[in-house]
Formats: sequence, C-alpha cells, structure tokens
Amino acid sequence: MEAVDFERAKAIRQRNLRLWLAFLLAPPALVLIIFVFIPMVSAVLYSLYEWDGLARGEFIGLRNFYDILFGPRLSAELFNAFWNNVKVFVTLMIVQNGYALVLAMLLARNPRGYRFYQVVFFLPVILSTVIIGFQWKLFLNPVFGLVNKALIYFGLSDWALPWLGLPETALPAMLLVNSWHWFGFPTLVFLAAIHRIPTDFIEAARLDGASEWRIAREIIWPLMAPAVTIIVVLTFIGSFNWFEIPYIMNGLEGSPEGSTDMLGLLFYRTAFGSVSVGTSDFGHGSALAVLMFIFIFVFSILATKYLTSREVEMS
Amino acid sequence: MANVELRAVDKSFGRVDVIRNVNLDIRDGEFVVFVGPSGCGKSTLLRLVAGLEDLTDGEIHIDGQRVDHLAPSRRGVAMVFQSYALYPHFTVRENMGYALRVAGEDKAEIARKVEAAADVLQLTEYLDRKPKALSGGQRQRVAIGRAIVRDPKVFLFDEPLSNLDAKLRVQMRIELTKLHGKLGATMIYVTHDQVEAMTMADKIVVLRDGVVEQVGPPLELYNRPANLFVAGFIGSPAMNMFEGSVVEAGADGLVLDLPGVGRLSWPASGTLKAGDKVHFGIRPEHFIREGEPDGKVAGEVYAAERLGGETYIYLNTENGSEVTVHASGDWAARPGDRLEAGFMLENAHLFGPDGQAVPGREG
Repeated sequence: MEAVDFERAKAIRQRNLRLWLAFLLAPPALVLIIFVFIPMVSAVLYSLYEWDGLARGEFIGLRNFYDILFGPRLSAELFNAFWNNVKVFVTLMIVQNGYALVLAMLLARNPRGYRFYQVVFFLPVILSTVIIGFQWKLFLNPVFGLVNKALIYFGLSDWALPWLGLPETALPAMLLVNSWHWFGFPTLVFLAAIHRIPTDFIEAARLDGASEWRIAREIIWPLMAPAVTIIVVLTFIGSFNWFEIPYIMNGLEGSPEGSTDMLGLLFYRTAFGSVSVGTSDFGHGSALAVLMFIFIFVFSILATKYLTSREVEMS
Repeated sequence: MANVELRAVDKSFGRVDVIRNVNLDIRDGEFVVFVGPSGCGKSTLLRLVAGLEDLTDGEIHIDGQRVDHLAPSRRGVAMVFQSYALYPHFTVRENMGYALRVAGEDKAEIARKVEAAADVLQLTEYLDRKPKALSGGQRQRVAIGRAIVRDPKVFLFDEPLSNLDAKLRVQMRIELTKLHGKLGATMIYVTHDQVEAMTMADKIVVLRDGVVEQVGPPLELYNRPANLFVAGFIGSPAMNMFEGSVVEAGADGLVLDLPGVGRLSWPASGTLKAGDKVHFGIRPEHFIREGEPDGKVAGEVYAAERLGGETYIYLNTENGSEVTVHASGDWAARPGDRLEAGFMLENAHLFGPDGQAVPGREG
C-alpha cells in the first residue's frame, strides 16, 4: 500500500515539474519560433523563387544565389559591401575595442573619480543610435557643423573637410561615430574581466619584477580571454550586420561612390527597393540574407571555438 | 640572507590606523611568525615588508639597506600567498621561472635553477603541468619553489597552509621547518593558527589591533605571557581566568581573594595595592589531582571529552565561572560529578588592573 502511494506521489511530483518547466519555456520558445525560426525558414524559401514585386513567381532553385555571387551587377556590389564590412570589423576591433581595453586597464587601477568615469563612458551606449547618427551628421556638416567650425577656430582650416562627402573620409568618420557610441560597452566588459582576476596574481607578478606593461601583456590579457571572446564575437556580428549608422548618416546607397556600402544596406536596397535599383526583389534579397546569416553564423561559431580554447580557468 | 628591521612603522587606510608604531628586529636566518586574531594587522605588516602596501610612517630596512621606498621586486623578498597565486595559464616550470625570465636571465640558467628547486620540493615530474592539474599540497610546493628560485634575502609567507586539509597542513608544517633548516634563510610567516606559530617559530610576534603585544620565543610567550591578551591567545584550550581582588599588599607578597578559587598568597607584589582588581590565570594542562597543590578549584563537571590519551573536563565553579581541565587519559569524570583540581603557584599567572603580568616568585 505504502509503495503504491509513494510511486503515485513521485509521478505527480514529476508531472508538476514538467508542467512548470513547460509553463516557463513556452513563452520564449513561442517568441523564438514566430520571430526567428519562421522568418529564417521563409527567407530560405523566398530565396528559391523568382519574385515580381510582391508576387511570388516560379521555383528557380539556387539561381538567386548564383546571381548574387557571380552576376555582373550584384556580385560587384556584394564584394564591395563585404570588403567594407571587413574594414568595419578590423577598424572597430582596433579603434573601439583597443581604446576600451586601454580605458579598462586604467579604470582597473581605481583612479580618483572611478565611478564618474564609468558612468560617463557608458552614457553614449544607452543613447539611441538614430539620435547619435543624426546628431553626428549635423556635427559633421561641412557648412555649419560643429567639427569644421572647431577646426577653423583652432586655425586648422585645411582639415575642415566635407567628412561624409568624400570616399576617403566617409567610412572612417562613421566608424569614429560608432566607436564613440559603443566603446563604453567593451570597456565595462573588459573592466569586469580585469576585476575578476585575483589581485594576488598581479601582486605576485609585481614581486617577480614584471613591469606594468608586462603584467598587462603576460598576466592580465591571457586571463581576460573570456571577455575577449565575447567582445570579438559581438563585434564581428555587429560589424557584418552594420546598418543604422551608415543608413542614417549617408543613406541607403552607401554613398559616396559605394564607400560606405554595407551588406545590410545592399540587402535592404535589394529586398525592399531604392532609388538606384527600383522595385523590391525578395528573391535576391532573401538569398543575400541567407548568405549573410550562413557567413556570420559559421564564423561566429569558429571564432568562439578558437577563442574559447585559449581561455584558462582562474584556479 | 638578511636581517629585517622595522622602525616606528605606521599604516593607515583612510582614518583607520591598521598598524601602530611597530618596532621589530628580525635576525638573519630567523623564522619569525606574526600571529594574532583576524583583523589584527599581521598580513598588512607582511605586505608592508613586501612592498605591496606603502608605509604611512616609519622605516623598513632589509640587510642594512632602507627599502621602504623601493618597488617590491627590488627589496630582495619573495612571497608565498595564501591563494598560492600561481599563474593559471603557465606551467609549473613557467611559474617557477617567471621572475628569472623577467630579470632576463639566460634560458639554460633558468632551467637549471627551476629544476634544482623542483628537485628539493619533489616537483620534477610535475614541471610541465598547469597548476589546475595539481593537488593543493603540490600547488603549495610550487608557490614555495617560485620563491626559492629567486634566491631572496627574505621569504614571506602569508597564511600559506590555511587552504590545506588538516593532515596536509601538519605535513607541510614539517616540510617548511625542514626547508628553513636547509636554506637557513630569514623567513617571516603570518598565521592565525597558534599551533603553526608555536611549532615553527624561532620568534613569535603577537599582534592585536595593529600593536605588537609581545615578541619572544614560543615557550617564553607560553610560560611568561606579558599581558592578559597574550595569555588568552597563546595556548589551546585557552588559559582559565579568575577575576578577583587584592586583599592585602605587603613587602613579601599579596593576599588575593579569588571567587571560585578562594584566598591565595602571591609571592610578589609589583605595584599592586589592596583593593586592586586582578586576573588570576591557570592553563588547563597545569591542573593536578595528586600531591600537595598550592590551591584548588572545585566545581561540577558539565562535560567531559575523553580522547584516549587525554581528557578535557569542563567544570562550573560555585560562583558560575567555567573552567577547563586538560587531564591525562585515565582521569575519568562524568557530567554531574563533583571535581577538585589542584594547581601550583609556580604555574599560575597574575595580571594587574591594566592587564599587564604581575611578576611571581621568579620575577
């Protein structure tokens, strides 16, 4: 009798636990299915058809992919945009994240006003990208922009350029704006990683005679590998999905002369239409989106695997 | 190898004085233990010697040279941390040789020194492992090895055994004492464990609230504690204390009234006078049950721990004070028994109203 009751109680407890888990997991699972999996599958399906505006035409297999990779117009735009995205990734890694690393190392020494700096550096992160893009577009205006006025005021009239109008300066200017917007985030992540390193390691290295530079390079840097993994992967994903700043500051065409064209802009123009390409083309747009997804997904996984293998447990 | 001198050393963190006017002479080759309760400043004092903290005031000399303005690496000290502080991404070999690599020593020379130290510490087979793959005791030895290869003037140990289990702690205690004998180096060792202090030290420095309470060889601190704090801190279980007063004070001694003990004659007076409050102390292991004791403590047993070779008996005296008796294993007692434990005055300690020891017959 007792054994039967025990089994029944156990079964009820397990059923309740399963119901509770289902209750907790159902909402996020539903959101994922509706907003991630269905659009992904739809994009793959769309990319396999010919489209005429909003009307789906014939099934054409991988033809849209071929056009994008090897077609005369799209492939040229694709590789130009891809190369620009590579530039974005490399520059952000060096400028934005390098600067963040230096700041984190300085803040980790608990300078006077540490809390103040922490808040100030993080402030731009919480501002809207649209506002920042628009505000800096005004600052960089060649006629009445703050930047050129300041340069002229300080006697640097030769440096007062139409920053967003020249192919050589448009992308660097946007990258500086993006770095200004986001550097607070890697700074905080790096700072948290440095704080996680036991001070004993640093003190032991000081007793061993290591200089501050050597400690940063040989002790702190390898031990903050998990934070570096996160920042590299997020920067990679962000760089190859870069859209808002170039769109707001120089429009959908990646002007001047395609120097600020990005995969995201190319996708948008192709899928939803623009002045240059005319009507929307869901087929090529979806194929481009699928290619972007595969590229970003595969490289993110590979980078995460490689970078994680460098990480060491602290104790 | 070197002597270490601390002159009027002060250290404050903000408004909090952590170390106050510490003066200390540590002789060449001495094994000195800083001991005291948590927060007494013993680790801070060690870190001041290491150079990991800056002095607020005072001077530190190592081997005759003033070092308190020098960087840690230039003081000729090596430190073993409580956490071991082994770099987790380096192998044992790289950990042990790091200081030499930083100093730009020749690779072959680094390898020779590391292997020699590994040989002494029986670490040779672990040289290519990462710290994660080592046991607590092995990590501890690597940390010591890292200090040895630097050939420092002074070794500093900050509670190095506190992360080990009891058995390994005893083993490492003996190994460290052997190592000190072999190297003959000056060693400063911080611990809150008085057993470590008593068993390893040539000289113990007892600290409380940043002040040195007493400095001396272990047995001197045990036999002649300078004050109530040292008397209570050194010895386990702690010394039994009876609060009482001086009834008579004369040239040939004092008469004390000690509730729980009775009236007693103390052979020397010091500066005490009739009416002064005193503390009378007897260590648990100094109670006897045979012979003719100078005094007795009587009470009812409320607990007895029989460990085989020894017995701890806990009494409540008539006036309510608790007394611990550390007896031989054959001294049987059960809760509820009435028990009398005798003592000899030569083993007793008397402390005046200021908490300082009052000299006995021996002065």
